[in-house]
Amino acid sequence: MAQSTQAAASWKAGDAPVGEVRVVDPHPLNWLYVTWNTMEEPVRTDERGEIVGACMEDSHWEGSTLVVKVRDGVRFQDGTTLTSASIERAFDEVQKWVAPHPPGTYLNFHPDTTVDCPDDSTIRFNFPEPDGLALAKFRGFHIASDRFWDESGFGGKVYGTSEGHW
Amino acid sequence: MNRVCDAEGEVDIVSEISPADAQRVIESEHAHLVTIDAMRIVSGLINRDRAYMNDVWVRKALNLAVDKERLISEVFQGYAHPVVAMSPPYSGAPTDIEPYPYDPDMAKRLLQEAGWPSDRALVLATTSDVAPIADYLAESFRSSLGIEVDLVSVPDEGLAAAQKALVEKKIPQHFDVLAHAWFDLAAGYPPAVIHREYHHSGGAFRLGSPLEMFEDLMGRSVVETNAGKLGDLGRDIDRLTHREALSVFLCCPMALVAVNNHVNFTGHAATLELAETSVDEGHWSRRNEP
Repeated sequence: MAQSTQAAASWKAGDAPVGEVRVVDPHPLNWLYVTWNTMEEPVRTDERGEIVGACMEDSHWEGSTLVVKVRDGVRFQDGTTLTSASIERAFDEVQKWVAPHPPGTYLNFHPDTTVDCPDDSTIRFNFPEPDGLALAKFRGFHIASDRFWDESGFGGKVYGTSEGHW
Repeated sequence: MNRVCDAEGEVDIVSEISPADAQRVIESEHAHLVTIDAMRIVSGLINRDRAYMNDVWVRKALNLAVDKERLISEVFQGYAHPVVAMSPPYSGAPTDIEPYPYDPDMAKRLLQEAGWPSDRALVLATTSDVAPIADYLAESFRSSLGIEVDLVSVPDEGLAAAQKALVEKKIPQHFDVLAHAWFDLAAGYPPAVIHREYHHSGGAFRLGSPLEMFEDLMGRSVVETNAGKLGDLGRDIDRLTHREALSVFLCCPMALVAVNNHVNFTGHAATLELAETSVDEGHWSRRNEP
Protein backbone atom coordinates (compact mmCIF):
# COMPACT_ATOMS: atom_id res chain seq x y z
CA MET A 1 0.00 0.00 0.00
CA ALA A 2 1.10 3.58 -0.51
CA GLN A 3 0.23 6.19 2.04
CA SER A 4 0.76 9.92 2.29
CA THR A 5 2.86 10.86 5.26
CA GLN A 6 3.78 13.84 7.31
CA ALA A 7 7.11 15.62 7.15
CA ALA A 8 9.15 15.07 10.24
CA ALA A 9 9.92 18.36 11.92
CA SER A 10 7.69 21.04 10.50
CA TRP A 11 4.39 19.19 10.24
CA LYS A 12 1.58 20.10 12.64
CA ALA A 13 -2.00 18.97 13.05
CA GLY A 14 -4.16 20.37 10.29
CA ASP A 15 -1.37 20.53 7.71
CA ALA A 16 -1.71 18.53 4.53
CA PRO A 17 0.24 15.24 4.41
CA VAL A 18 3.72 15.51 2.89
CA GLY A 19 5.52 12.80 0.98
CA GLU A 20 4.61 9.22 0.20
CA VAL A 21 5.67 5.85 1.55
CA ARG A 22 5.30 2.50 -0.13
CA VAL A 23 4.76 -0.44 2.16
CA VAL A 24 5.02 -4.17 1.61
CA ASP A 25 3.33 -6.10 4.38
CA PRO A 26 3.09 -9.85 3.85
CA HIS A 27 1.65 -10.47 7.32
CA PRO A 28 -1.50 -12.64 7.28
CA LEU A 29 -3.27 -9.90 9.26
CA ASN A 30 -2.55 -7.27 6.60
CA TRP A 31 -6.28 -6.96 5.92
CA LEU A 32 -6.71 -5.95 9.57
CA TYR A 33 -3.77 -3.54 9.54
CA VAL A 34 -5.20 -1.83 6.44
CA THR A 35 -8.54 -1.52 8.23
CA TRP A 36 -6.90 -0.06 11.34
CA ASN A 37 -4.93 2.42 9.24
CA THR A 38 -7.95 3.63 7.30
CA MET A 39 -10.95 3.45 9.67
CA GLU A 40 -11.76 4.91 13.07
CA GLU A 41 -12.18 2.89 16.25
CA PRO A 42 -13.02 4.01 19.78
CA VAL A 43 -9.56 2.86 20.88
CA ARG A 44 -6.20 2.09 19.34
CA THR A 45 -3.00 0.63 20.73
CA ASP A 46 0.15 2.58 21.48
CA GLU A 47 3.70 1.49 20.67
CA ARG A 48 3.73 -1.04 23.50
CA GLY A 49 0.31 -2.41 22.57
CA GLU A 50 -1.52 -0.73 25.44
CA ILE A 51 -5.09 0.32 24.70
CA VAL A 52 -5.49 4.10 24.48
CA GLY A 53 -8.36 6.30 23.37
CA ALA A 54 -8.84 7.07 19.69
CA CYS A 55 -12.23 8.53 18.78
CA MET A 56 -13.11 7.72 22.39
CA GLU A 57 -11.66 10.43 24.59
CA ASP A 58 -12.59 8.83 27.90
CA SER A 59 -14.89 6.24 29.43
CA HIS A 60 -16.22 5.11 32.78
CA TRP A 61 -18.53 2.45 34.14
CA GLU A 62 -21.89 3.14 35.75
CA GLY A 63 -22.91 -0.34 36.89
CA SER A 64 -23.07 -2.40 33.73
CA THR A 65 -23.25 0.68 31.49
CA LEU A 66 -20.10 1.96 29.84
CA VAL A 67 -20.29 5.71 29.30
CA VAL A 68 -18.07 6.86 26.42
CA LYS A 69 -17.02 10.45 25.83
CA VAL A 70 -16.48 11.00 22.08
CA ARG A 71 -13.46 13.01 21.01
CA ASP A 72 -14.29 16.34 19.36
CA GLY A 73 -12.96 17.28 15.95
CA VAL A 74 -12.61 13.83 14.37
CA ARG A 75 -13.53 13.83 10.69
CA PHE A 76 -13.98 11.00 8.21
CA GLN A 77 -12.27 10.92 4.83
CA ASP A 78 -15.37 12.47 3.22
CA GLY A 79 -15.17 15.47 5.55
CA THR A 80 -18.15 14.60 7.73
CA THR A 81 -17.78 14.75 11.49
CA LEU A 82 -17.62 11.72 13.75
CA THR A 83 -20.17 12.04 16.55
CA SER A 84 -21.89 9.69 18.96
CA ALA A 85 -24.41 9.03 16.18
CA SER A 86 -21.60 7.62 14.02
CA ILE A 87 -20.76 5.12 16.75
CA GLU A 88 -24.42 4.25 17.20
CA ARG A 89 -24.73 3.64 13.45
CA ALA A 90 -21.69 1.35 13.47
CA PHE A 91 -23.10 -0.51 16.47
CA ASP A 92 -26.49 -0.97 14.78
CA GLU A 93 -24.86 -2.17 11.56
CA VAL A 94 -22.52 -4.65 13.24
CA GLN A 95 -25.02 -6.05 15.74
CA LYS A 96 -26.99 -7.46 12.79
CA TRP A 97 -24.26 -9.99 12.14
CA VAL A 98 -23.79 -13.33 13.82
CA ALA A 99 -20.02 -13.24 13.25
CA PRO A 100 -18.84 -9.72 12.40
CA HIS A 101 -15.18 -10.40 13.20
CA PRO A 102 -12.90 -12.85 11.36
CA PRO A 103 -10.91 -13.65 14.52
CA GLY A 104 -14.03 -14.98 16.22
CA THR A 105 -17.28 -14.19 17.97
CA TYR A 106 -15.57 -13.43 21.28
CA LEU A 107 -15.24 -9.85 19.97
CA ASN A 108 -19.04 -9.58 19.68
CA PHE A 109 -20.97 -7.32 21.99
CA HIS A 110 -23.65 -9.20 23.92
CA PRO A 111 -26.73 -9.42 21.66
CA ASP A 112 -28.89 -7.76 24.32
CA THR A 113 -26.65 -4.70 24.49
CA THR A 114 -28.31 -1.38 23.70
CA VAL A 115 -26.88 2.09 23.14
CA ASP A 116 -28.22 5.60 23.58
CA CYS A 117 -26.75 8.97 22.74
CA PRO A 118 -27.71 11.76 25.14
CA ASP A 119 -25.71 14.22 23.03
CA ASP A 120 -23.21 14.35 20.13
CA SER A 121 -20.28 13.73 22.47
CA THR A 122 -21.65 10.95 24.65
CA ILE A 123 -22.74 7.39 23.97
CA ARG A 124 -23.82 4.89 26.59
CA PHE A 125 -23.39 1.14 26.08
CA ASN A 126 -25.94 -0.66 28.23
CA PHE A 127 -24.64 -4.20 28.68
CA PRO A 128 -26.82 -6.84 30.34
CA GLU A 129 -23.84 -7.52 32.62
CA PRO A 130 -20.45 -5.80 33.02
CA ASP A 131 -18.16 -6.59 30.10
CA GLY A 132 -14.54 -6.77 31.23
CA LEU A 133 -13.35 -6.98 27.65
CA ALA A 134 -15.41 -4.07 26.33
CA LEU A 135 -12.41 -1.82 25.70
CA ALA A 136 -10.54 -4.63 23.98
CA LYS A 137 -13.62 -5.26 21.83
CA PHE A 138 -13.60 -1.56 20.94
CA ARG A 139 -10.30 -2.22 19.15
CA GLY A 140 -12.20 -4.24 16.56
CA PHE A 141 -15.24 -1.92 16.47
CA HIS A 142 -14.83 0.02 13.24
CA ILE A 143 -16.56 3.39 12.97
CA ALA A 144 -17.33 4.71 9.50
CA SER A 145 -19.11 7.58 7.85
CA ASP A 146 -22.74 7.31 6.79
CA ARG A 147 -21.53 7.28 3.22
CA PHE A 148 -19.53 4.11 3.89
CA TRP A 149 -22.53 2.28 5.29
CA ASP A 150 -24.94 3.66 2.67
CA GLU A 151 -22.77 2.88 -0.36
CA SER A 152 -20.88 -0.30 0.50
CA GLY A 153 -20.56 -1.26 4.15
CA PHE A 154 -18.47 -4.38 4.56
CA GLY A 155 -19.83 -5.77 1.30
CA GLY A 156 -23.44 -5.65 2.43
CA LYS A 157 -24.62 -3.41 -0.37
CA VAL A 158 -23.07 -5.74 -2.93
CA TYR A 159 -23.91 -9.15 -1.50
CA GLY A 160 -27.11 -8.36 0.36
CA THR A 161 -25.48 -9.26 3.65
CA SER A 162 -22.15 -8.39 5.18
CA GLU A 163 -21.93 -11.74 6.94
CA GLY A 164 -18.71 -13.44 5.88
CA HIS A 165 -17.73 -10.61 3.52
CA TRP A 166 -15.23 -8.76 5.63
CA MET B 1 13.52 -6.99 0.26
CA ASN B 2 15.94 -6.04 -2.51
CA ARG B 3 13.78 -3.01 -3.28
CA VAL B 4 14.15 -1.54 0.19
CA CYS B 5 17.77 -2.56 0.83
CA ASP B 6 19.35 -1.93 -2.56
CA ALA B 7 17.29 0.90 -4.05
CA GLU B 8 15.29 3.99 -3.25
CA GLY B 9 11.89 5.01 -4.57
CA GLU B 10 10.36 1.59 -4.99
CA VAL B 11 9.63 0.32 -1.46
CA ASP B 12 10.06 2.17 1.84
CA ILE B 13 8.86 -0.25 4.46
CA VAL B 14 8.89 -4.06 4.41
CA SER B 15 7.44 -5.90 7.39
CA GLU B 16 7.96 -9.51 8.44
CA ILE B 17 11.68 -9.62 7.80
CA SER B 18 12.91 -13.05 8.77
CA PRO B 19 15.67 -13.31 11.41
CA ALA B 20 17.87 -14.85 8.74
CA ASP B 21 17.58 -11.67 6.65
CA ALA B 22 17.98 -9.18 9.50
CA GLN B 23 21.72 -8.76 9.10
CA ARG B 24 21.29 -8.00 5.41
CA VAL B 25 19.01 -5.09 6.31
CA ILE B 26 21.42 -3.84 8.97
CA GLU B 27 24.26 -3.83 6.43
CA SER B 28 22.23 -2.32 3.59
CA GLU B 29 22.93 1.08 2.09
CA HIS B 30 19.38 2.39 2.03
CA ALA B 31 17.50 0.81 4.94
CA HIS B 32 17.73 0.16 8.63
CA LEU B 33 16.17 -2.51 10.83
CA VAL B 34 13.40 -1.72 13.32
CA THR B 35 12.88 -4.38 15.98
CA ILE B 36 9.59 -4.57 17.87
CA ASP B 37 8.71 -6.46 21.03
CA ALA B 38 5.57 -7.76 19.40
CA MET B 39 2.43 -9.34 20.78
CA ARG B 40 3.40 -12.69 19.29
CA ILE B 41 4.07 -16.13 20.65
CA VAL B 42 5.18 -19.47 19.28
CA SER B 43 4.42 -22.64 21.19
CA GLY B 44 3.74 -26.30 20.85
CA LEU B 45 -0.01 -26.84 20.85
CA ILE B 46 -0.58 -30.02 22.84
CA ASN B 47 -3.39 -32.32 21.79
CA ARG B 48 -4.69 -33.59 25.12
CA ASP B 49 -7.18 -35.84 23.31
CA ARG B 50 -4.32 -38.16 22.34
CA ALA B 51 -3.11 -41.05 24.50
CA TYR B 52 -0.62 -39.97 27.20
CA MET B 53 -0.95 -36.27 26.30
CA ASN B 54 -3.50 -35.61 29.04
CA ASP B 55 -0.82 -36.58 31.58
CA VAL B 56 0.79 -33.46 33.07
CA TRP B 57 4.08 -35.39 33.52
CA VAL B 58 4.24 -35.96 29.78
CA ARG B 59 3.51 -32.32 29.08
CA LYS B 60 6.16 -31.20 31.57
CA ALA B 61 8.62 -33.63 30.00
CA LEU B 62 8.07 -31.97 26.64
CA ASN B 63 8.76 -28.57 28.17
CA LEU B 64 11.91 -29.77 29.92
CA ALA B 65 13.17 -31.36 26.70
CA VAL B 66 13.64 -28.12 24.77
CA ASP B 67 16.58 -25.74 25.14
CA LYS B 68 14.71 -22.48 24.59
CA GLU B 69 17.83 -20.32 24.83
CA ARG B 70 19.40 -22.19 21.95
CA LEU B 71 16.13 -22.00 20.02
CA ILE B 72 16.20 -18.21 20.38
CA SER B 73 19.87 -17.83 19.51
CA GLU B 74 19.96 -20.29 16.60
CA VAL B 75 16.51 -20.29 15.00
CA PHE B 76 15.58 -16.69 15.78
CA GLN B 77 19.13 -15.26 15.62
CA GLY B 78 18.41 -13.66 18.99
CA TYR B 79 15.30 -11.83 17.76
CA ALA B 80 12.91 -13.35 20.31
CA HIS B 81 12.21 -13.18 24.02
CA PRO B 82 12.00 -16.07 26.49
CA VAL B 83 8.53 -16.72 27.85
CA VAL B 84 7.40 -18.40 31.07
CA ALA B 85 4.05 -19.61 29.78
CA MET B 86 1.76 -17.95 27.21
CA SER B 87 1.82 -14.29 28.28
CA PRO B 88 4.57 -12.21 26.64
CA PRO B 89 6.99 -10.93 29.32
CA TYR B 90 6.06 -7.34 28.41
CA SER B 91 2.31 -7.97 28.46
CA GLY B 92 0.96 -8.97 31.83
CA ALA B 93 3.04 -12.07 32.53
CA PRO B 94 3.50 -13.10 36.18
CA THR B 95 6.95 -12.39 37.59
CA ASP B 96 6.92 -15.01 40.33
CA ILE B 97 7.37 -18.10 38.16
CA GLU B 98 10.28 -19.23 35.99
CA PRO B 99 10.37 -20.87 32.56
CA TYR B 100 10.76 -24.63 32.56
CA PRO B 101 14.51 -25.23 32.50
CA TYR B 102 16.27 -27.33 29.88
CA ASP B 103 16.70 -30.62 31.75
CA PRO B 104 16.83 -33.66 29.43
CA ASP B 105 17.47 -36.10 32.28
CA MET B 106 14.42 -34.99 34.22
CA ALA B 107 12.40 -34.90 31.01
CA LYS B 108 13.29 -38.49 30.18
CA ARG B 109 12.53 -39.62 33.73
CA LEU B 110 9.09 -37.97 33.76
CA LEU B 111 8.22 -39.53 30.43
CA GLN B 112 9.22 -42.99 31.63
CA GLU B 113 7.28 -42.61 34.89
CA ALA B 114 4.23 -41.61 32.85
CA GLY B 115 4.49 -44.98 31.14
CA TRP B 116 5.33 -43.73 27.66
CA PRO B 117 5.93 -46.89 25.55
CA SER B 118 9.44 -47.08 24.14
CA ASP B 119 8.08 -47.81 20.66
CA ARG B 120 5.52 -44.99 20.68
CA ALA B 121 6.61 -42.16 18.38
CA LEU B 122 5.59 -38.61 19.15
CA VAL B 123 3.68 -37.09 16.24
CA LEU B 124 4.74 -33.49 15.69
CA ALA B 125 2.83 -31.47 13.10
CA THR B 126 3.84 -28.23 11.45
CA THR B 127 2.93 -25.71 8.81
CA SER B 128 5.44 -24.07 6.51
CA ASP B 129 5.52 -20.78 8.42
CA VAL B 130 6.95 -22.45 11.52
CA ALA B 131 8.84 -25.30 9.87
CA PRO B 132 12.28 -24.32 11.27
CA ILE B 133 10.81 -24.28 14.77
CA ALA B 134 9.26 -27.71 14.24
CA ASP B 135 12.58 -29.07 12.99
CA TYR B 136 14.23 -27.79 16.15
CA LEU B 137 11.51 -29.30 18.33
CA ALA B 138 11.77 -32.66 16.60
CA GLU B 139 15.50 -32.75 17.16
CA SER B 140 15.03 -31.71 20.80
CA PHE B 141 12.41 -34.34 21.55
CA ARG B 142 14.47 -37.06 19.90
CA SER B 143 17.71 -36.23 21.66
CA SER B 144 16.31 -35.29 25.08
CA LEU B 145 13.59 -37.91 25.41
CA GLY B 146 15.15 -40.74 23.44
CA ILE B 147 11.97 -41.33 21.48
CA GLU B 148 11.16 -41.33 17.80
CA VAL B 149 9.41 -38.28 16.39
CA ASP B 150 7.23 -38.38 13.30
CA LEU B 151 7.32 -34.91 11.79
CA VAL B 152 4.22 -34.25 9.69
CA SER B 153 4.01 -31.16 7.49
CA VAL B 154 0.70 -29.67 6.47
CA PRO B 155 1.08 -28.58 2.82
CA ASP B 156 0.24 -24.96 2.07
CA GLU B 157 -2.56 -26.00 -0.26
CA GLY B 158 -4.15 -27.98 2.56
CA LEU B 159 -3.74 -25.33 5.22
CA ALA B 160 -7.28 -23.92 5.11
CA ALA B 161 -8.84 -27.38 5.41
CA ALA B 162 -6.50 -28.27 8.26
CA GLN B 163 -7.31 -25.06 10.10
CA LYS B 164 -11.02 -25.67 9.65
CA ALA B 165 -10.73 -29.21 10.99
CA LEU B 166 -8.80 -27.98 14.01
CA VAL B 167 -11.36 -25.31 14.83
CA GLU B 168 -14.44 -27.46 14.17
CA LYS B 169 -13.11 -30.36 16.30
CA LYS B 170 -15.31 -32.91 14.53
CA ILE B 171 -12.42 -34.88 13.04
CA PRO B 172 -9.87 -36.32 15.49
CA GLN B 173 -6.49 -34.68 15.11
CA HIS B 174 -3.72 -37.22 14.66
CA PHE B 175 -0.86 -35.19 16.06
CA ASP B 176 0.44 -34.95 19.61
CA VAL B 177 2.02 -31.53 19.26
CA LEU B 178 1.52 -28.82 16.65
CA ALA B 179 4.13 -26.09 16.21
CA HIS B 180 2.01 -22.97 16.21
CA ALA B 181 2.36 -19.19 16.03
CA TRP B 182 -0.25 -16.78 17.37
CA PHE B 183 -0.69 -13.13 18.32
CA ASP B 184 -2.53 -10.74 20.59
CA LEU B 185 -4.50 -7.66 19.55
CA ALA B 186 -3.39 -5.56 22.53
CA ALA B 187 -1.21 -5.68 25.61
CA GLY B 188 -2.30 -6.13 29.21
CA TYR B 189 -4.63 -9.11 29.23
CA PRO B 190 -3.29 -11.92 27.01
CA PRO B 191 -5.91 -14.50 28.03
CA ALA B 192 -8.52 -12.66 25.94
CA VAL B 193 -6.85 -13.67 22.69
CA ILE B 194 -4.08 -16.14 23.53
CA HIS B 195 -4.95 -18.45 26.44
CA ARG B 196 -8.64 -18.43 25.56
CA GLU B 197 -8.02 -19.69 22.04
CA TYR B 198 -5.74 -22.51 23.18
CA HIS B 199 -7.40 -23.71 26.37
CA HIS B 200 -10.92 -22.35 26.92
CA SER B 201 -14.01 -24.40 26.12
CA GLY B 202 -14.80 -21.88 23.35
CA GLY B 203 -11.23 -21.68 22.08
CA ALA B 204 -10.54 -22.35 18.44
CA PHE B 205 -7.38 -24.38 19.08
CA ARG B 206 -8.28 -26.27 22.26
CA LEU B 207 -7.76 -30.03 21.95
CA GLY B 208 -8.72 -31.82 25.15
CA SER B 209 -11.33 -31.44 27.83
CA PRO B 210 -11.84 -27.96 29.30
CA LEU B 211 -10.23 -27.43 32.71
CA GLU B 212 -12.66 -26.43 35.44
CA MET B 213 -10.30 -23.95 37.09
CA PHE B 214 -9.44 -22.38 33.75
CA GLU B 215 -13.14 -21.97 32.94
CA ASP B 216 -13.74 -20.39 36.35
CA LEU B 217 -10.93 -17.86 35.94
CA MET B 218 -12.04 -16.92 32.42
CA GLY B 219 -15.65 -16.62 33.60
CA ARG B 220 -14.59 -14.19 36.31
CA SER B 221 -12.48 -12.23 33.83
CA VAL B 222 -15.20 -11.48 31.33
CA VAL B 223 -17.28 -9.56 33.89
CA GLU B 224 -14.33 -7.83 35.59
CA THR B 225 -14.22 -4.15 34.66
CA ASN B 226 -11.44 -3.16 37.09
CA ALA B 227 -8.23 -3.16 35.07
CA GLY B 228 -6.04 -4.08 38.05
CA LYS B 229 -8.17 -7.04 39.05
CA LEU B 230 -8.39 -8.13 35.41
CA GLY B 231 -4.59 -8.13 35.24
CA ASP B 232 -4.44 -10.25 38.40
CA LEU B 233 -6.84 -12.76 36.86
CA GLY B 234 -4.72 -12.83 33.71
CA ARG B 235 -1.63 -13.69 35.74
CA ASP B 236 -3.56 -16.41 37.59
CA ILE B 237 -4.54 -17.90 34.24
CA ASP B 238 -0.93 -17.84 33.06
CA ARG B 239 0.25 -19.49 36.29
CA LEU B 240 -2.35 -22.24 35.86
CA THR B 241 -1.34 -22.71 32.22
CA HIS B 242 2.29 -23.04 33.34
CA ARG B 243 1.54 -25.37 36.27
CA GLU B 244 -0.47 -27.72 34.05
CA ALA B 245 2.06 -27.36 31.20
CA LEU B 246 -0.84 -26.97 28.80
CA SER B 247 1.47 -26.05 25.91
CA VAL B 248 5.14 -26.39 25.07
CA PHE B 249 6.16 -22.84 25.93
CA LEU B 250 8.77 -21.54 23.50
CA CYS B 251 9.30 -17.80 22.96
CA CYS B 252 7.93 -14.48 21.76
CA PRO B 253 9.40 -13.56 18.36
CA MET B 254 10.14 -9.91 17.65
CA ALA B 255 8.60 -8.23 14.62
CA LEU B 256 11.35 -7.07 12.26
CA VAL B 257 10.79 -4.26 9.77
CA ALA B 258 13.13 -2.91 7.10
CA VAL B 259 12.71 0.87 6.77
CA ASN B 260 14.18 3.34 4.28
CA ASN B 261 16.72 5.61 5.95
CA HIS B 262 14.71 8.73 5.13
CA VAL B 263 11.54 7.37 6.75
CA ASN B 264 10.79 7.80 10.44
CA PHE B 265 8.76 4.77 11.38
CA THR B 266 7.45 3.91 14.83
CA GLY B 267 7.08 0.20 15.43
CA HIS B 268 3.91 -0.93 17.20
CA ALA B 269 3.66 -4.09 19.26
CA ALA B 270 0.21 -5.12 18.10
CA THR B 271 -0.12 -3.82 14.56
CA LEU B 272 1.61 -2.27 11.58
CA GLU B 273 0.75 1.36 12.31
CA LEU B 274 1.58 4.20 9.93
CA ALA B 275 -0.10 7.16 11.69
CA GLU B 276 3.17 8.45 13.14
CA THR B 277 5.24 7.75 10.03
CA SER B 278 7.02 10.72 8.50
CA VAL B 279 9.64 11.34 5.83
CA ASP B 280 12.51 13.81 5.84
CA GLU B 281 13.47 16.19 3.05
CA GLY B 282 15.95 13.71 1.62
CA HIS B 283 13.22 11.17 0.89
CA TRP B 284 12.70 10.31 -2.77
CA SER B 285 9.11 11.60 -2.71
CA ARG B 286 10.22 15.07 -1.60
CA ARG B 287 13.42 15.70 -3.52
CA ASN B 288 11.67 17.65 -6.27
CA GLU B 289 9.66 19.84 -3.93
CA PRO B 290 9.76 23.51 -4.93
